[in-house]
Amino acid sequence: MENLLARANTYLNKPKVAAWVFLSPSILCLLLFVFVPLFVAFGMGFFDITIFFKNIRFVGVANYRELLHDQRFWNALKNTAYFTACVVPGGTAFSLSVALYVQKNTGFRRFIRSLLYVPVVCSMTAMGIVWAMLMDPTIGIFAYWSDILGMRNFMFLKDPNWAMPLIMLMTVWKTFGLSMIIFVAALQSIPEYYYEAARIDGAGALTQFIHVTLPQIVPVLGFCIVTSTIQSFMLFDQTYIMTRGGPLFRTESMVQYIYSRAFSLSPFRLGYATAIAEVLFVIIAVVSLLMYRFFVKKEAGGMQ
Amino acid sequence: MMLKQNALSFSRLMVFLGICIVVLLVVYPFVWLILSSFKFETDIVKYPPGTWPSTFTFEQYVRVWHKLPLLRMFVNTVIFSGSVTLANCFLCAMAGYAFARIDFRGKEVLFILILVSMMIPFQIYMIPLYIEEHKLGILNTFAGLILPRITWPFAIYMMRSFFVSIPKSLEEAARIDGAGEYRIFGAIMLPLCRPAFLSIGIMTLVNNWNDLAYPLILTNTAEMRTLSAGLALFVGQRVIEYGATLAAATISLLPLLLAYILLQKYFVKGVVMSGLKG
Repeated sequence: MENLLARANTYLNKPKVAAWVFLSPSILCLLLFVFVPLFVAFGMGFFDITIFFKNIRFVGVANYRELLHDQRFWNALKNTAYFTACVVPGGTAFSLSVALYVQKNTGFRRFIRSLLYVPVVCSMTAMGIVWAMLMDPTIGIFAYWSDILGMRNFMFLKDPNWAMPLIMLMTVWKTFGLSMIIFVAALQSIPEYYYEAARIDGAGALTQFIHVTLPQIVPVLGFCIVTSTIQSFMLFDQTYIMTRGGPLFRTESMVQYIYSRAFSLSPFRLGYATAIAEVLFVIIAVVSLLMYRFFVKKEAGGMQ
Repeated sequence: MMLKQNALSFSRLMVFLGICIVVLLVVYPFVWLILSSFKFETDIVKYPPGTWPSTFTFEQYVRVWHKLPLLRMFVNTVIFSGSVTLANCFLCAMAGYAFARIDFRGKEVLFILILVSMMIPFQIYMIPLYIEEHKLGILNTFAGLILPRITWPFAIYMMRSFFVSIPKSLEEAARIDGAGEYRIFGAIMLPLCRPAFLSIGIMTLVNNWNDLAYPLILTNTAEMRTLSAGLALFVGQRVIEYGATLAAATISLLPLLLAYILLQKYFVKGVVMSGLKG
């Protein structure tokens, strides 16, 4: 018996075995709860499944064919693309400009930095509730101020043309602190003598930024842009809290539409909703791959 | 020269003003939220709206407990995000250690698997996950909420970089003394992980505490809702309770805000590491 235990002990202590012991909980979890559903998703798009799991039928590419003529799908795709195309460049540029100011380690700027990071720590749910009330056309203080400033009857989130831009602004407000803090770290790691050398050559502030700062932060810039692009394509929390996709479906995002099709619109069509999710997956896969290649090239180019 | 000096200080002034506006815009909603949660309902909806309460009252904080199963939601959120955080720290440290320190067959393939799963957003496979949990019978249970999140590919990646940066000499002495992998990991590596645990733990805690779509889909009764999901559904109801909603929102934010004030350094550290290494 003791002999057996000792043998088990030596077996388990072999580095190769130990590695598998260390890894197995994580790998099992990922296989079971990420890769299994992901592969199931690829098949599910070809089935007609409702949330009650009755009368499951194989329908071939019918779901995908239906997508082509589904106006709500195209609308959601358009809204999501609009959101991403504005929030990613706008938010990144804004974070970077604020970072340029707060990067110096004076007490005041450190303090501002930690204040500006606060929205990142808070939930989109709570912040969405606050912003929706601030912008409420009847009780909101922002609506009152805009009235005073002469924008009479501005309906904020209830205005179909302005709902999405306001959601974008709120998103930048909530998230810019994250990339700001990463940019600050990247900016602080640029050696001071690079700037000195540029100044001796007579470079102004703008030239220094373009020729010294930018090339140095390309990898970090790429990271921030790619992650915020993926996050923007996943737009859901803000619109779910603040507009539920309205008015006139003008803020309905892809994920919002997937959620509605599957869980809140009768008949709850899980197969069709998954087909939409697949399209979204292909889009973000292609976009992030293209971006990744672009930034890797830039980085390599910068080193030559 | 004089003119240039003036122009310089003028543009400096403009930048300073700009940053002041940004700070005001960031801070104001929080000030408004906290002050308004101490207002009477009539004070919130009065015209013209104001920021400062006419009279301070705890009424909303008393009422909200009857309007919402707030305690239940709070406990759920603590159980869910707390156990996910603890599990993440240990399981990701174990996995990161194996990737950083042990040579074994299939290591590259597994590491690519981790990197790939880092890039796949949950929203893509949320419906099959919902079905899977339904079939396993863990939908709307703590097991169903916690199990899919016990590991986090991103944290594994971070822990791997952390262990790579630790000098090998530390464990070699122990190895010569005949200590096995588990002893080395438990007695030497884990104690070194404390700062890494703090920053990764905080990131996991914040992400899961605030998550909306995930608990919204995987729970379907009031008893299982987290703060985020419960609040989202509360504001979706027909009757809008402004004061109670604001009080509930304040309560849901308070723990993380307090943690941020106390542990600010670690909140930022994890994020910065991820940005500079990614």
